[in-house]
Amino acid sequence: MSVLEVRNVNIQFGGVRALDHVSMEAGEWEIVGIIGPNGAGKTTLFNCITGFYQPNKGKIRYRGKPITRLPVHKRTALGIGRTFQNVGLVKNTTVAENLVTAQHLEIGYDPWAGMLGGPATFAEEVGLRERADQLLELMDLSDVAEARVTDLPYGVLKRVEIATVLATDPDLLLLDEPGSGMGPEEAHALGDTLLELRKEFGITIVMIDHHVPLVTQVSDYVYCLNFGEVLAEGKPDVVRNHPEVVRAYLGEEPADAEPARDAEAASEEYV
Amino acid sequence: MTDTIPEAPEESTRELPPVVAEQIDDEVEDAAPFRPSVRGWVARGLVWALLAWVVFALPGNFLSPFQLGVSDVGHASKAAIFAIIGLSLNVLIGYTGTISLGHQAFVGVGAFVSAYVVVDMGLEFWVAVPIAAAVGGIQAALLGAVSLRLTGLYFALVTLAYGLFAEETLFGITAFTGGEGGKNVPRPLGFEDDFAFYYLCLAFLAAVLWVDWRLMRSKGGRALQALRENPRVASSYGINVKAYTLMAFVVSGIFASIGGALLAQQSTFIVPETFNFQLALIFILMTVVGGLRNRVGVVIGSVVFALLEEGTLVHLLHLDGILDSTIGLPAEFFGLVIGPILLLLTITLYPGGIGQQVAPIAQWLRGKKLDLHAGKVTEVEVNDVRA
Repeated sequence: MSVLEVRNVNIQFGGVRALDHVSMEAGEWEIVGIIGPNGAGKTTLFNCITGFYQPNKGKIRYRGKPITRLPVHKRTALGIGRTFQNVGLVKNTTVAENLVTAQHLEIGYDPWAGMLGGPATFAEEVGLRERADQLLELMDLSDVAEARVTDLPYGVLKRVEIATVLATDPDLLLLDEPGSGMGPEEAHALGDTLLELRKEFGITIVMIDHHVPLVTQVSDYVYCLNFGEVLAEGKPDVVRNHPEVVRAYLGEEPADAEPARDAEAASEEYV
Repeated sequence: MTDTIPEAPEESTRELPPVVAEQIDDEVEDAAPFRPSVRGWVARGLVWALLAWVVFALPGNFLSPFQLGVSDVGHASKAAIFAIIGLSLNVLIGYTGTISLGHQAFVGVGAFVSAYVVVDMGLEFWVAVPIAAAVGGIQAALLGAVSLRLTGLYFALVTLAYGLFAEETLFGITAFTGGEGGKNVPRPLGFEDDFAFYYLCLAFLAAVLWVDWRLMRSKGGRALQALRENPRVASSYGINVKAYTLMAFVVSGIFASIGGALLAQQSTFIVPETFNFQLALIFILMTVVGGLRNRVGVVIGSVVFALLEEGTLVHLLHLDGILDSTIGLPAEFFGLVIGPILLLLTITLYPGGIGQQVAPIAQWLRGKKLDLHAGKVTEVEVNDVRA
């Protein structure tokens, strides 16, 4: 049974068809990449899966359970975690505090009990902080635990965001451009981290990224969106060299596929 | 011309800038934490003692070496009650980011319910306060459930309408409030004395401060902070934004009702007119000028505005004569004149309010190094309130 199943999802904003009969699937333990030019509807698809948008048509299932009409926080409770394109963190606080906030659903005590300050709540708070520290260590972020979010550069925040989503204890991780703001080397390291996370937590990952080397490095399966439609899908190498995909990115059909590949190889060497 | 161009080197000789993340690591990894010396502790202890004397003894000229000319401890009680109300409003404006323009109704409901329980039902004050708090919480939940479908300015308008409705209609029900004639409310047994009653108010203020502190250090407060800044991120953390906003509303309603119950006991006589829109404005002014999300600031701001409203502060500064004779402005109205000016100054110069200005001292008193820029990190922004 697939973890995530999107069937014929349609969504329209005014006259713009943002998603047009989009179907996709993510199986257990898979890493699925979503690529596509700007405005292709990738983030809109994520917003439908996480519940920020209600699709006009179509069904979304999570482990066989229909979730199309569930509110966002209930989907998080089911185990769907996501990051945001423009960094979804509580900015006016520290990194560690964000990870503690993200463990909201893991907290056993009632918010009213927390307000009155029962002794059990104090003990649990210590545990939350410990878990936050563990996750930060895992993501190699222990040094910035006490730093304020606003003081950190974009690339670091992208990693903090992943640590924060992990704190919500997800089964399915939706990453919106995790590699943006990172150099090629950092992006490569991020790819290794993602593979490691899958092994460690047994999670399924769906990621949007423009960084094609990163997507091909880690993905088991890739979807390419363009103008709200699935343009191509398949194994990373197949999608990357798909003529329609190349045209969508470059605007015209390549005269010869070989030079393009050489150029890419060269660029990777340069790094 | 071509020969003037220097030949490009084979490899770039430019040095790479250091990695930013490492720089930040160095900044975060600070030296050993600062510890005050013995003299430092003594100095801090003395200031704490002075503060304790101001809070506990000064209002009644108790243990006071000199007569300050104010012996009405009732004003001090009112200041403590206003602090409770300020903290109540801070939960809404500060923590949740929704503005309430009808807070006088919340306070009024607390006042009239406790008065009704004590006078008409003949029950003790100790029973009346929990009942007032419960009713206050329930009315906040009802109002919230209806109005939280709206956001921003529209939400503020609903609270404004509710405040006016309460003032004109709800508090006009003669059987419940005594109507225009008002109601006499006897003080609780053992606290008839103004000074004893002041201590009672302080105890309630301490309890509210405790709850407020624990709220912000636990699940609920973190949820509020997240949803104020970014409701989308908050919901992706699994926080039920609507439910927690409603919770903040109920907490605020409970705090305000407790404040109202005490206010009724303090003045021993209440009329519906007391809870007019002007009062709601004073509440907002004192909370924002005090400093949103800053417990110390809100308490100081509330005390300042309570004393301004009573005319005590003007009297203390020997300004009442000048105001009354030259401008013809009674001391009691001075708060409404100076309030908006203070609000403007707060928004433009010190977004963190009084809390921001006293931050260096507050930090120092907690055993940290005296850092005059402690309040410079402004957590409060002008466009903070989603209204």
